[in-house]
Amino acid sequence: MKIRRSLVVAAGVAASMLALTACSGTSGATGGKVDLTVWTGFTGGDRPGYDTIVKDFNASHPNIHVTMNVQPWDTIAQKLPSAWLTGQGPDIAAPSSDPNAIAQYVKTNSVLALTNTGSGDTKINTDKLAPGTVKEFTYDGKLYAVPANFATLSLYYNKKAFAAAGIAGAPTTVAELQADAKKLTINGGQTQYGLSLADNQTIQMWPILQWLEGGDIVDAKGCSVVQTSAGQKSLSTWSDLVVQDKISPVGQTGAQADSLFSAGKAAMEINGPWAAPGYKSAGIDLGIAKVPVGVDGSSVTLGSTAPLAVSAKTKHPQEAQEFLAYWTSKTAQEKFSLQTGFPPLRTDLADDAKLKADPTVSIFTSQVPDSRLYLPHVTNATQVDANAYVPLIGQITRGTSVASATADAAKTIDSLTGCSK
Amino acid sequence: MSTHTTEPALSRPARDGAGSLPRNAEPVRPGPRGDGSTRRRRRRFQPAWLFMAPSLIILGVFVLFPILQTLYYSFFDWTIGASTQTFLGFGNYIKLFQDPQFWNALGVTLVFTAFAVALQITLGFGSALMLLKDNLITRIVRSVYFFPTIVSFVTIGLVWKFLLDPSIGLVGGLTQLLGLQPVAWLTSTSLALPSVIFVAVWRSVGFAMILFVAALKAVPAERYEAGRLDGANNRQLTLHITIPSVRPTLLFATMILTIQSLQVFDLVYVMTDGGPVFRTDSLVNLIYRDGFVNYQTGYASAVSWVLFALIMLLSLLQLRLFRYNDVD
Amino acid sequence: MSTETGVRVRRPGAMTALAASSKWILLVIGLVFAIVPFIWMVSGSFRSESDLFGNPASLFPTSITLHGYLGVWEQLPFLRLLGNTFLFAGVTTAATLLFDSLCAYALARLKFRGRNLAFILVIATLMVPFQVTLIPVFIELFHFGWLNTYQGLIVPRATSAFGIFLFRQFFISIPTELDEAARIDGAGHFRIYWRIILPLAKPAIATVAILNFMNLWNDLLWPLVVTSDPNMLTLPAGLTLFGGQHVTDHAVLLAGATISLIPIAVAFFFAQKYFVAGVATTGLK
Repeated sequence: MKIRRSLVVAAGVAASMLALTACSGTSGATGGKVDLTVWTGFTGGDRPGYDTIVKDFNASHPNIHVTMNVQPWDTIAQKLPSAWLTGQGPDIAAPSSDPNAIAQYVKTNSVLALTNTGSGDTKINTDKLAPGTVKEFTYDGKLYAVPANFATLSLYYNKKAFAAAGIAGAPTTVAELQADAKKLTINGGQTQYGLSLADNQTIQMWPILQWLEGGDIVDAKGCSVVQTSAGQKSLSTWSDLVVQDKISPVGQTGAQADSLFSAGKAAMEINGPWAAPGYKSAGIDLGIAKVPVGVDGSSVTLGSTAPLAVSAKTKHPQEAQEFLAYWTSKTAQEKFSLQTGFPPLRTDLADDAKLKADPTVSIFTSQVPDSRLYLPHVTNATQVDANAYVPLIGQITRGTSVASATADAAKTIDSLTGCSK
Repeated sequence: MSTHTTEPALSRPARDGAGSLPRNAEPVRPGPRGDGSTRRRRRRFQPAWLFMAPSLIILGVFVLFPILQTLYYSFFDWTIGASTQTFLGFGNYIKLFQDPQFWNALGVTLVFTAFAVALQITLGFGSALMLLKDNLITRIVRSVYFFPTIVSFVTIGLVWKFLLDPSIGLVGGLTQLLGLQPVAWLTSTSLALPSVIFVAVWRSVGFAMILFVAALKAVPAERYEAGRLDGANNRQLTLHITIPSVRPTLLFATMILTIQSLQVFDLVYVMTDGGPVFRTDSLVNLIYRDGFVNYQTGYASAVSWVLFALIMLLSLLQLRLFRYNDVD
Repeated sequence: MSTETGVRVRRPGAMTALAASSKWILLVIGLVFAIVPFIWMVSGSFRSESDLFGNPASLFPTSITLHGYLGVWEQLPFLRLLGNTFLFAGVTTAATLLFDSLCAYALARLKFRGRNLAFILVIATLMVPFQVTLIPVFIELFHFGWLNTYQGLIVPRATSAFGIFLFRQFFISIPTELDEAARIDGAGHFRIYWRIILPLAKPAIATVAILNFMNLWNDLLWPLVVTSDPNMLTLPAGLTLFGGQHVTDHAVLLAGATISLIPIAVAFFFAQKYFVAGVATTGLK
């Protein structure tokens, strides 16, 4: 009797739970159409731009319906490998905000080799995509992803601070940049810092500083070059400025560096297009300029991108690639840039009249041809960043000697990239 | 973000077997309705399992089995999505004992736990002593102290991250008012871990306090009478009567807070992501990074089993430490 | 209410004025520390970026802006998420109350072989952080076909080791005389559980209900793992869709944090007499 009763209760609870299965989330079932799902992590201010791309694609392709699910990047990183393994994952996904993450998915054969390349609007125009991106996503001669976006970093500066220091305009050479940073550091940074630098939890700025001084992190073979004399000089020039001249606070995260500039406590910051609206709403008298040219007279900046790839197990490879082609097409990218302020990920929109007319977009767009990726195609790049580069900068800006810090970093880098000398 | 550790509000830990029925079998005599089956057969069927079935099934399927699966992963260079997995035997474990990041994370986690739990217990006990009376004011103060406990770690980490930001935070703003330079709490290599410990203590002091309030109220007045008759002063009373009387609660609170602190993740992840230069890198933060950022599922599983063993060990140690001194 | 015990001395005036006032100073400092962050959070949700950056020392907005809340409202299917959260937290909590207490009854009242092992296994589940078991659980849910479903969201959480632990402690302290009496009247275990133990366990039920509800409410990783459809998320999980590495609008983030805090703050306000007044009621010795 008692057993029966407990069974009844248990059955009752189970039944009520099963009743809920009737309310399970519905998918956008559309008869006869091809349904594609896309996972991305674009949660920031540029999100409406991506929604527009999806909407326009659906409107112009009546036989395909794309649904984009936005989730935090962390969640995608946690679920995507398993989701794609089970075959129930999205047809298309941006696996990470880090372009080097695609290597892992290529290794496990989880992503499709893209074949829909060529010219014209229905194909992916690989020759027109931002420099380095095609190479970045090509493994063993096959292309596995397209750039989902492309951002360059430019120099933001506080016009009021410049005027107060008597500096006429933004610096155009790296020497001017360093001199201005020193001049704009008031009271040892207590009142104002010359340049707001971030070294962790950020899109990296320090590689740009190194490139401007003629140094780099790894060479083409993936071997560390921070310990070479050129590498060390490119780092020590700046670490001396931070440690001795206090041009920047030490150890800032990207968010803190942005806050410092927004609060008017730093006169300059190297940042991407996403920051402009925030700075303006914080009330900064904002100026944006190209990153100054380096010691060799050439223009350079960091390009940041994220991969957009197709699942190897998708049931609609053709349609998925059509979507990628549309995403990277001229029309979609022009509209995207105008809407979000991001530069287009194509090089053939540099002379586009509409983009040129927008002052923010035009600066970032003009930097696209000179942009370089951070640790492009480097094996275990994420670990190189977390275990070697970020600690390296953290140490030299806190007073550790550049010689010893770079020697340690070089060992770590080489062991991670498998560099054999 | 663990949902398995939640904070209880009861005061006493387990005492084995007390209050159980002397007979565990079902009554052999028939029930009121004379159900034939119970009268004839000698039942060996244990109803306990039926009572426990829903919980055990769910915990078994959705927690215990996955835990065993991660143990399995830890013996391989497990990569999600790979067609074959490389067997490593104890390779991952050997690797982790040679990994300086593991030792760093272990040190950070132990330091964090030691300081956080010690402060939570002492401050919780102290405030419980001060707020024992039941009047409106003490009730309000107790509620306020307890409130942070119900807020998620993510929200708390986010708010304190902003509060401690030298540019927009209240802390920075107030120090500027005083004419001082705002301190960069979370990016200073020496201050980051203390700051995280502070926030953890801030959150859970109220929880410890509530446990102790309940326990202190249950101490019979006669004990104090007896102590006073022996001429003890306040301090001696506290030391020799109050504290021993609440020892079971002390054990319970310490155990739960220790288990929670050893698994600290959300707070660290939101506030510092293990930085600066790994000064606040907790073990679960390391597991998360190795598992989901570096895609090394096997290695991360090995580290999590070492953490699990550590938690189990410390819990058993605490049980030992407190139980045999139980004068109740 | 319980009797007044503790270290309060009977002789009046024995606690010096200095000790009393320093005690109150400490308590007030504690109060300030406890409250101010929340005040800052709520007020920050109404402040513009320029206000935040221009007046960091100020606790209150210099001018009120609603764009934080409007931003949340516009970008999320707000009411839908709120409904999901109530559904998830509510139904799951109800299930945990039933299953946890059933399991605890067995662990507390019934002697059987394997009881200690069962208890240890239950407690062991508290010692593993969720990140560790996330992937195997995700794959399990896939095999059951429970991804993106409500049952996938609810069933794995329908019992809590913490609840089992707490109920067990409580049941152990209930005297057995009542059980004996009922047994003599011919009641079986389930009737004892249902008619006798549970009614006496109201404080424990309230405690487990509230703490589980709050934990489920605050859990954002779980819904993100089970569903990828933004319409099925709970409110706190949905609010993670704001913000990334570079924060451009603090008011939106703070508004999200405030909104997800309000319901449990309200629940806490109504339920706080169950903990704050000292959970100890009958039989917690």
